[in-house]
Amino acid sequence: MSTSHDDDPIEPDALEARLRALGADLAVPVPPPADVARAVRARLEDGRAQDGRAQDGRAQDDRAQDDRAQDDRTRRPDRRRAVLRPSPRVAAAAVAALMAVLLGATPQGRAAVVSVLHFAGVEIHVGGTGPLPTGVPSPLPGERRVTLEEARRTARFHVAVPSALGEPADVRLADGGRVVTLLWPGVRLDEYDGTLGVVWRKELGEPWPEQVSAVAGWWIPRSHGVSYVPAGGGEPHEERVAGPTLIWQHRLVGLRLEGPDRAEAVRIALSVR
Amino acid sequence: MDDDEAVTRALAGDLDAYEVLVTRYSAVAHRTASLLGAADEAEDVVQEAFVKAFRHLKGFRRGSSFRPWLLRIVANETHDLTRSRGRRSDLAVRLGREREPFGPEDPEDAAVGADGRTRLLEAVRALPDGEREAVVCRYFLQLSEAETAEVLGLRLGTVKSRTFRALRRLREEVGREHLA
Repeated sequence: MSTSHDDDPIEPDALEARLRALGADLAVPVPPPADVARAVRARLEDGRAQDGRAQDGRAQDDRAQDDRAQDDRTRRPDRRRAVLRPSPRVAAAAVAALMAVLLGATPQGRAAVVSVLHFAGVEIHVGGTGPLPTGVPSPLPGERRVTLEEARRTARFHVAVPSALGEPADVRLADGGRVVTLLWPGVRLDEYDGTLGVVWRKELGEPWPEQVSAVAGWWIPRSHGVSYVPAGGGEPHEERVAGPTLIWQHRLVGLRLEGPDRAEAVRIALSVR
Repeated sequence: MDDDEAVTRALAGDLDAYEVLVTRYSAVAHRTASLLGAADEAEDVVQEAFVKAFRHLKGFRRGSSFRPWLLRIVANETHDLTRSRGRRSDLAVRLGREREPFGPEDPEDAAVGADGRTRLLEAVRALPDGEREAVVCRYFLQLSEAETAEVLGLRLGTVKSRTFRALRRLREEVGREHLA
């Protein structure tokens, strides 16, 4: 233990100086300001486009002021779709949010530092104990089997099908159209209406996920725990153990692809149109 | 372009000018949101705050400082978020447990992992909310007392007394641990 302070009475000024120094040491994640500016601008332009279309005299703008961002997504998906935000930029902003949650992660022991990566609707915790093996995957909230056409009609976003895989063998729709799951033998593709909100939470021990520049996404090379955070908030859905997964974003849709190896996953991801 | 000019242009609908303000204050806004409790949702909070600030720009008193005015919106957004988290207490507890693996304290681990800064940070975290926020604004964000009052929506005297009480508590806490 350091003894440097042991002989000093703690003077008021010294304490204030120590607090300032501590504040300077706190690693707070700050995305590139230019990305924040672009994201804010996109939302403002989005709001204007919406206002232009709102002929019914309702105070769209005022309503929006009182809504949280998440409500924005859940209540008015069209609002988000009005502007195609350039996904690489959004992805860059999200990737920059590589965070050491210092106020939350207080090392009492050496292994206590947990980092969080917030990306494309996925929140990844790194450096924890890793997943606990749990039971059989349980369905997502309100999950039901649908046809691809029905999924496309009902989902809050454009359901993309990777041409590398062709028609899915099975399609599931969950949580009021927020998540669409496409299944092929040995392959699971979840598509979700979520760019900045937390839709999935993943738990993994180190190593860190690998960045995949070809799709501006992340490859999680090992099995990990993943739980679903329902649209209305509330408790995260029961955790299950997922295999290696590629996560990325296509326009305003977040995707997670589970099953193939990395090269194949990237090939499939690139075929999403 | 200084803040005043940027505000003038933004009021006229110039989004380029507003982008200048967003770029200028993005970092401090993120720090404010994070340290006041938004944690990993700080990005959402900050975007929302900038959007609201633009829409409420008419309410900004010209000639005053833009930064604390903006940070007050950030602080309010953060408070809304933590309140809504309170309703989802299960989630909060879950997150809390994962990020704070407080095991039974192994003295050796404590000796290795806990230096003075960790203890001080712990003591700050343990402060009552109002006092902790005053400390965060005054020392972690290095705002003046007047700015802190504006950001937290408090009277100047309240900021002074909360800061005073917080420092007294921290001194006791850290001092006590020194003897331990």
